[in-house]
Amino acid sequence: MSHRGKSLKKKLLSLYGNPFIRFVSRRVGFLIITFVIFLLIIFALPRFIPGNPLATLLYAIREMPPETLQLKQKQLIEQFGLGKPLEVQFYEFIARLFRGDLGTSYSYPGIKVVTMVFTALPWSLGLLIPASLLSWIIGNLLGALAAYKRKTLIDNALLPAFLTLTETPYYWLAMVLLYIFAVTLKIFPTSDAHNFLYFPSLRLTFILDVLWHWTLPFLSILMGAIGGWAIGMRSMVIYELGADYVSYADSLGLPDRKVLLYVFKNSMLPQITGLALNLGTILGGALITEIVFNYPGTGFLIFRALTQLDYPMIQGAFILLILTLLIANFIVDLVYAYVDPRIRTGYIGE
Amino acid sequence: MVPPILKELFKTKKLDISLGIFIGMVIISIFGSALYPNPLAVAGPSYRPPSNAFPLGTDDRGRSLLALLITGIKNSLYIGVTAALISLAIGVTIGVISGFKGGVTDSSLMLITDLILVMPAILIMMLIAAYLKERNPLFVSLVIGITAWPWVARAVRSQIMSLKSREFMYMSKMAGLRDMRIIIEDLLPNMASYIFMAFVLLMSGAMIAEAGLSMIGLGVTKGVTLGSVLYWAQQNDAVRRGLWWWFGPPGICLIALAASLLLISTALDEYFSPRLKGG
Repeated sequence: MSHRGKSLKKKLLSLYGNPFIRFVSRRVGFLIITFVIFLLIIFALPRFIPGNPLATLLYAIREMPPETLQLKQKQLIEQFGLGKPLEVQFYEFIARLFRGDLGTSYSYPGIKVVTMVFTALPWSLGLLIPASLLSWIIGNLLGALAAYKRKTLIDNALLPAFLTLTETPYYWLAMVLLYIFAVTLKIFPTSDAHNFLYFPSLRLTFILDVLWHWTLPFLSILMGAIGGWAIGMRSMVIYELGADYVSYADSLGLPDRKVLLYVFKNSMLPQITGLALNLGTILGGALITEIVFNYPGTGFLIFRALTQLDYPMIQGAFILLILTLLIANFIVDLVYAYVDPRIRTGYIGE
Repeated sequence: MVPPILKELFKTKKLDISLGIFIGMVIISIFGSALYPNPLAVAGPSYRPPSNAFPLGTDDRGRSLLALLITGIKNSLYIGVTAALISLAIGVTIGVISGFKGGVTDSSLMLITDLILVMPAILIMMLIAAYLKERNPLFVSLVIGITAWPWVARAVRSQIMSLKSREFMYMSKMAGLRDMRIIIEDLLPNMASYIFMAFVLLMSGAMIAEAGLSMIGLGVTKGVTLGSVLYWAQQNDAVRRGLWWWFGPPGICLIALAASLLLISTALDEYFSPRLKGG
């Protein structure tokens, strides 16, 4: 037994010596700390902000019929555990969270927040995942092209376009696309994610209908996100092109294509880290874009919850959004660890 | 006498164009708000398209959209500058301390910075703003400013680290100067151009962030910004009703302001980092 224990310990130690495992476990620890801090912020905000928002809420609902008012007040006090000591409130908040209980919505009584958010989340992800991945690929390629064609007409035309696109909010692009293609040309629908006459199913008509509604919001996010990636990649490639190894490879007479491939590979790594860092920004922009299209995703849900002061819904939606984002971050980290030769070769070498 | 730096800088057209756009917008907002002292007053009938009397039409309450836009630019600029200054103050302080002290101070400050860097700023802004009952431009700037600094801290830190190993630093240390004096007299002047670029970028980011907050209904509660004009257009379904003069101009102004600032910083960046300039 003791022998086995020893060998297990040794095994674990050697696993930690593995650069891949070390990198990934450090990142997981980091993401968990981030999540905990985020929960602390969510917990603290309604309780410590001056001019207590819960009091505002109680004040706002004062004109309801007495029986609903009492019920609401009871709900509020239970939901936030008001009146109990702070540490008990925090304990209950975390305990409920681990049971997957995010409370019930104020504006849709009896409906669980988790249910609402999980119905909305797939719509958001359906927009976000393809748009962010595709914009990343297209942006990087265009950025590399601009850098390679530096001081030519191509770069002089592309760079201002990138700069303008990256400062164009997705939702404004959404308004413009909506106005041109849906309102004026009437090619695309003006709102929602599918025709409400169709019941969600896997039939072809429904899928086509969903895609038809999806196109404009998807394009707004895609186009808006391309600029940032392209600018980053452009300066990265220009920087790499000035590196010593490029002049060395050139002096050896290596074909341009091969040198470019090296440059592209080396410029790619920081862009993967960039993907992890920018997912949040893209998410934020996409949430607002949903509002323009009345698209039934998380952004639209949060927007409605905000106008109705539906605090459990706001909290729940933000918690699940952050969780999704941290998971996405983790996946990007895994890809990074796999692509970076410094980490990967250590991994294979084990 | 024009300093040679300026001559060199204006050789590239980027800076001419971007500064031109930016200064133009600033002038419009200053002189325009003198022309329209009361943008929120009802000026005529609702939903008018652009005409001689109302160059950019009117909104649902019959307010002149040109007046709203001009005031909006002014307030957006105010939020941009204030939020950028707040972020810069936090970011530079943390970056300088971290880079200068090193050791445990450095690693703990950078841990905090990285944690905030991972948390999506716009979501944190929304969360804080959601719990504020009344939001004036200063509050909105604060909310934006306290979430946007981490990258500045990281960048300043790495600058300090590289400056630290320069000769003049050893000289100052040998002369027995106090840390604070070394930082203020030796380090910060060496980073002036860098800090200015960070300010410009922060400003453009803050103006975009303000519009985003407004669009989700969390912008200023009193007054007008570019974001709130867009928000009102959205709330009144301006796009589906074809009222392009309502949602178009504020978006164009916002993009022009933010993009010109970004272009200014790109031009400066190319000037100050030789590897980008050559090639």
